[in-house]
Amino acid sequence: MTPKALLGRVALYALLAAVTFLVCFPLVWAFFTSMKPKDEIFLWPPTLWPSTWTLENYRALLQGKDAYFQAGAAGGGQPPPSAFFLDWFLNSVIVTLGTTVISTLVSTLAAYSLTRFRFPGQRAVPYLALVGYMVPSIIFVFPMFLVMADLRLTDTLLSLILGYVCITLPFCMWLMWAFFRGVPIEIEEAALVDGASRLRVFWEIVLPTAWPGIVAAAIFTLIVSWNDYLFGRVFMNSMENLPLTVGVMHFFDGTHVDWGLMMASSVIMTVPMAILFMALQRHLVAGFGAGAVKG
Amino acid sequence: MDVRIEGLSKSFGSNQVLKSLDMTFPERRFVTLLGPSGCGKTTLLRMIAGLERATAGAIYFGGNRVDHLSPGDRNIAMVFQSYALYPTMDVAQNIGYGLKVRGIPKADRAEKVGVVARVLEIGQLLARKPRALSGGQRQRVALGRAMVRKPDIFLMDEPLSNLDAKLRATMRGELKRFHLDLETTSIYVTHDQLEAMTMSDLVAVMDQGVVQQFATPEEVYDRPANLFVAGFIGSPPMNFAEAELGEAAGRPVLRIAGRALPVPPQFDLSGAPSRLTLGIRPQDVRLAAPEAPDAIPGTVWMTELIGSERLIEVEIAPRLRITAEVRSEIRAELNAPAAVAFDMAKLHLFDPGTGRALPRR
Ligand SMILES: Nc1ncnc2c1ncn2[C@@H]1O[C@H](COP(=O)(O)OP(=O)(O)O)[C@@H](O)[C@H]1O
Ligand SMILES: [Mg+2]
Repeated sequence: MTPKALLGRVALYALLAAVTFLVCFPLVWAFFTSMKPKDEIFLWPPTLWPSTWTLENYRALLQGKDAYFQAGAAGGGQPPPSAFFLDWFLNSVIVTLGTTVISTLVSTLAAYSLTRFRFPGQRAVPYLALVGYMVPSIIFVFPMFLVMADLRLTDTLLSLILGYVCITLPFCMWLMWAFFRGVPIEIEEAALVDGASRLRVFWEIVLPTAWPGIVAAAIFTLIVSWNDYLFGRVFMNSMENLPLTVGVMHFFDGTHVDWGLMMASSVIMTVPMAILFMALQRHLVAGFGAGAVKG
Repeated sequence: MDVRIEGLSKSFGSNQVLKSLDMTFPERRFVTLLGPSGCGKTTLLRMIAGLERATAGAIYFGGNRVDHLSPGDRNIAMVFQSYALYPTMDVAQNIGYGLKVRGIPKADRAEKVGVVARVLEIGQLLARKPRALSGGQRQRVALGRAMVRKPDIFLMDEPLSNLDAKLRATMRGELKRFHLDLETTSIYVTHDQLEAMTMSDLVAVMDQGVVQQFATPEEVYDRPANLFVAGFIGSPPMNFAEAELGEAAGRPVLRIAGRALPVPPQFDLSGAPSRLTLGIRPQDVRLAAPEAPDAIPGTVWMTELIGSERLIEVEIAPRLRITAEVRSEIRAELNAPAAVAFDMAKLHLFDPGTGRALPRR
């Protein structure tokens, strides 16, 4: 390797290390903070490594309401926000999975029909959908709240699912549309000639070919609905119905912030998405369709 | 099984792509649909396959009407121009998919796929995905997928057009061989006249949604039915020239560039118009001495070496040039005087009004 190439290599690694540090440092900091007892969090100068390790924050989050009531503490009073953490977590999981299933399913079928059947407006639909996605969701959220109120759906998980479907579906549809456009129709015709029914062609030929696109759409929907704050904040009000993002804001109470709980919540919120993403990303291989046709 | 089409028409919106075709593809024959790009060959093939619905007309396989049948129920196999292999399946699954759909048990399937793979010499590729194959290998897999099911009708849409020239030459022979082994009716689409002439029992020359001539390769070449076929088949293309029908010494003659050529006896001149279009292939033109009685004098316009032959273009009248294909040893100076003579037995005559060839006795 020439000195110049070596220098380039060193510079590249330095840059990569810097970016990695920037991305990971907050996560690492959050993790260590979540393992510290309260009095250690505000030490000055700050420490990264906890001198005493504690799972107290995690215990508080994961014990749930029942443990609180069984302990018979504070006769009849409202339990502290941390007691609702498990509810919030479950809410977020339900809403996220529900949204993802509906959005990917509907967008896949819609995009397929957009590329395979002829009807007026066929070309305009995907572009309009994309434009719709570019409008900030703050514009939609209040009108949608009024609609939800009319439907008597406010403060239900269904309202959140519907809301997230509204903001994720157009983009997913555009994504799948772009994807299906690249899948040559001859592949399906070959399968028809081979004797497969239309449904079978869709199931055995189209879906496997479109799998990377479906995974991409699903990951997008997962991230949007798991991380959303706005819709949860506007649509929901009872403590036990909140999604995680809105719920953890109760660890602020105007006068002080419980950083230990905040950081433990962040860790718990990040881990499932990280695992999911790592599990799914190998399906995102490019060049899936290469070789089906000439070239 | 023979394929018969009756009054078959197809329009895409206002664009009429096929205009009331009637033809019969005889059983076990290799029939080629030959024509320039956009003339409707693929559309006709797709209608026979059931992938496209006819605007009017009927299609029969062995006497049974099949218009209402879906492609899977017609027992056809089709090789697509793009090959259209299933990208997520390996080669064995690609070839076996049609059997799987028809509920053939796994063991039988593997055996049949193995046999086909051996014939096509792709046995070592069975576990590969299409993207890991070369163009020629993909082509074989596409053929294998078509062969494995023992179809009644074998449809191919320009299956060689994505291969390089050398491989194409080899595959021409192999395809013909497969056809003979399979003993099925084959319909083959191409825009390459060499493929059509070398492989086919019958050629249907198409233009603008109409079959211009449906005959053996020899007949299409030797007796083109009209000006389109005459100009489309043959390389370099046939020479055309306007000629006046006249009489000299009581015998009919063609007046061209100041010369009078006797009309060959094979033509039936009753009802022929007085102006005709004369056609002669460059292979049937020779350079002649200017004083020879049948020579038409002119000047050399252009010469071109094409391997063992040489093309010499002679201008015999203003803007009327005749190309002769001669042996490469024969040389000619640009702008030098030269004369051409026609092999009158190989002359073609057309009615310029209708474009049709003059009837022969
Ligand atoms: N699905 C379609 N929609 C509209 N026009 C089409 C369609 N398929 C083919 N055509 C038109 O039909 C004509 C014949 O096409 P095709 O059969 O593919 O020609 P070829 O195979 O001889 O090159 C072309 O003008 C083409 O533009
Ligand atoms: Mg074509």
